[in-house]
Amino acid sequence: MEKTAYGKSRPLTSFFSVDDVLILTGDISREMLIERMLEHLGRNYGFNNLGQYRDAVWAREGMSDTVVGEGIALPHARIDGIDRPYVCVSTVTPGVLFTEWKPLVRLIILVLIPEDTPDLYLQILKALSKILVKPDVAAEVAGLGSAEEVLRFFDRGGLILPDYVCAADIMNTHFDFLRENDSLRCAIDNFTSKNLSEIPVIDADGDMVGVVSAKALLRVCLPDYLLWMEDLSPIINFQPFVHVMKNEGNSWISDILTGEFPSVQMTSPAISVAGEMTRRDASVCYVLNGRKLMGIISLPLFLNKIFRE
Amino acid sequence: MRSSALFVKKRDILKPLVKLASVVCITLCAGLVSHFVGIAPHSLSVVSVCTFIAVICTTIFFWEYRVAAAFLGVAVLICTKAMTLHGMLKATELDIIFFLIGMMIIVGALKDLGFLTWVIQSIINRENMTGRAFCVILCLLAALLSSVVDEVSSIVVILALVFQVCETLKVRSAPFVIMAVVATNIGSASTMLGNPVGIFIGNKAGFTFSQFLVGATPVALSALLATILVFLLIFRKCIREINDRMAERRAQNRGLGPIVRIPHRRGLFVISATVLVIAFHHQIELLLGLTDAENKNALLIVTPIIVAGLLMACRPTRARYYVEHEVEWWTLIFFMMLFAIAGALEEQGVTQNMAMKLGAAVKGGAREMVPFVLGLSALGSAFVDNIVFVAAFTPVIQSLVERSAEYNVLWWALLFGACFGGNITVIGSTANIVALGLLEKREHTRIAFREWIKTGAIVGLVTSLIAWGMLMILQSPIPAHGKPAVLQIEQTDGPLHEHRMSPLPSDTSDL
Repeated sequence: MEKTAYGKSRPLTSFFSVDDVLILTGDISREMLIERMLEHLGRNYGFNNLGQYRDAVWAREGMSDTVVGEGIALPHARIDGIDRPYVCVSTVTPGVLFTEWKPLVRLIILVLIPEDTPDLYLQILKALSKILVKPDVAAEVAGLGSAEEVLRFFDRGGLILPDYVCAADIMNTHFDFLRENDSLRCAIDNFTSKNLSEIPVIDADGDMVGVVSAKALLRVCLPDYLLWMEDLSPIINFQPFVHVMKNEGNSWISDILTGEFPSVQMTSPAISVAGEMTRRDASVCYVLNGRKLMGIISLPLFLNKIFRE
Repeated sequence: MRSSALFVKKRDILKPLVKLASVVCITLCAGLVSHFVGIAPHSLSVVSVCTFIAVICTTIFFWEYRVAAAFLGVAVLICTKAMTLHGMLKATELDIIFFLIGMMIIVGALKDLGFLTWVIQSIINRENMTGRAFCVILCLLAALLSSVVDEVSSIVVILALVFQVCETLKVRSAPFVIMAVVATNIGSASTMLGNPVGIFIGNKAGFTFSQFLVGATPVALSALLATILVFLLIFRKCIREINDRMAERRAQNRGLGPIVRIPHRRGLFVISATVLVIAFHHQIELLLGLTDAENKNALLIVTPIIVAGLLMACRPTRARYYVEHEVEWWTLIFFMMLFAIAGALEEQGVTQNMAMKLGAAVKGGAREMVPFVLGLSALGSAFVDNIVFVAAFTPVIQSLVERSAEYNVLWWALLFGACFGGNITVIGSTANIVALGLLEKREHTRIAFREWIKTGAIVGLVTSLIAWGMLMILQSPIPAHGKPAVLQIEQTDGPLHEHRMSPLPSDTSDL
């Protein structure tokens, strides 16, 4: 594999130094904090377009909150014209309110990413995932007295940027599914009540056996040969749907189940998700661990991760 | 990883290069051989042979480039003066092309009118359907439909039935696709309407529709019945599986698909009227005084055009759709160019020379040549689209028929060889290729060459043997329109290619 612009297996600390760490002990608002961090970076690296960077960071903040773990926030923005990522780390001992319904944030990592590296933010996020799962990390780092200690903390943590983002890094682990012995009625209820267009089907062991889709249901109701007729007046009262409606209680979802579905393994590069969805003209890709269904990646989620986050 | 990617890249480049080299080698060899054996004595005839072989090889090795190759082939022939522009236009067989256009529009209208939907529903609606009954009905319906509408339209309809049943019952559809395609190819040989090969041979030979029916249907029907027996044996496991699934579904009181009342009478009337007029075209031609050679089979060709015209007049909002979407322009253009290229062989006297060589090589007369023509066309059609092979072989048989009417039996050998031989491989006929495309699109699966040939070879052999046997036993009809001219062969002292053939005056040529 080709070496990327930012190297292979690069530690997170290679993007910042002691000079980029701010230790704040007093009360401060989110707006003030981000402003201060930006100015700090601007001073350190002689930014000319600080206004543009500020706008970009606030535009991203406006889209959704950037709190990524308990007490940790990762404000960021894609910046046109910078040639490498710039990182500023700040600890705030009393904490900052980033989102009303979330705990106060004590560790803030501001990241400015070059626009031509769409997955860098996700790589940084993955590198941070080691500490994000620990509940007391933010408080622990905020308790450190000096920038050197903070830097050492990140160094000790072995926060290494992965070579690429995996499917598992961007998948949604909360999803609806059906069991293979569910009835057709159950599938139709899910389509209609949850506004879903396709639902994965798993067996008793959690292995994915296929997908049921609203399109397949429609095709069972309206086979191709009925659509050969230009004039649909013979079926104007939905006559072909009757046989499905009559039998939906005693028909299994196997009637509309397809074993062909876009899937990738958890460890596959996230780009393979795009490849799979494009090749199969699909809007959802299933993430498997072996044959077990671990998560799903919808097209909007994927686009958001790559283009916006 | 990088080395394997490189290897794949290398293979991707090498494969077409090897194919291209094969095309060039085969073409050059064919040109040289044809020259040295005296089939193509002069340079222009060698050009016509090389062009024809190059186009055929391209259809085999570079299927997607076949139309491009045919276009370029025609250009080469005209630019090298191997064929005149007038000769090219005459050889494109526009009468057959118009016939096919008309039939394709009619089939489009039949779909639109719900007739073909009704046909499928009639099968799905059958009570107490068993696996074996489904297999028999599928084959009979495929054969019947392909004998009335063209094989491509037929296979599209039949596969809709196969997919509906197999998807509903969750069984593998590939065996049933093979059954449907094979039965379609066999059925398409039974009438002039079934296969472009049929109308091409019928028109070239000068058979009327009823003569063709008398000559072809008994053989096709016998071959079909034998094929059904072969299928019941070969696919017994699949038939048992589908039988069990049907029984399960019946026990749950569930059908094989939605059943809707479809108005089908208009469609039935259209197809019945078309077939009836075509069936009696010769009698109507006599009534209208269309008996001269210039109007050979005029009504046969014109009837689909008349019916298509009436349908478009009745449904003006759909007329453009029919012409643009229901007519297989790509295929028809390929046919036209191919016929033109085959016409160059005739124009350069290559086919006459071949006929003479063939006549000299096979001792004992027309009946002895039947297995030769049948076998050769069956094998040829197994690997080349059957129309390609028939287009090449027709002038040869025409030349033989001009020598004696007894050679008319070879038309039938060519027809059955081409239609039945198309079953041998997966690429043997247009219907096979269309079916594979539909299967791939629908189920994302393919039928492997080996899987097909296991059934295709058996069916091809059985049906060809039946055709041979029946052609030996039965009296084949003689063309009504054909006026074979007895050729006077002026023996010269030179080699065979210097023979000159000149037809006797027509008043002495009525055989």
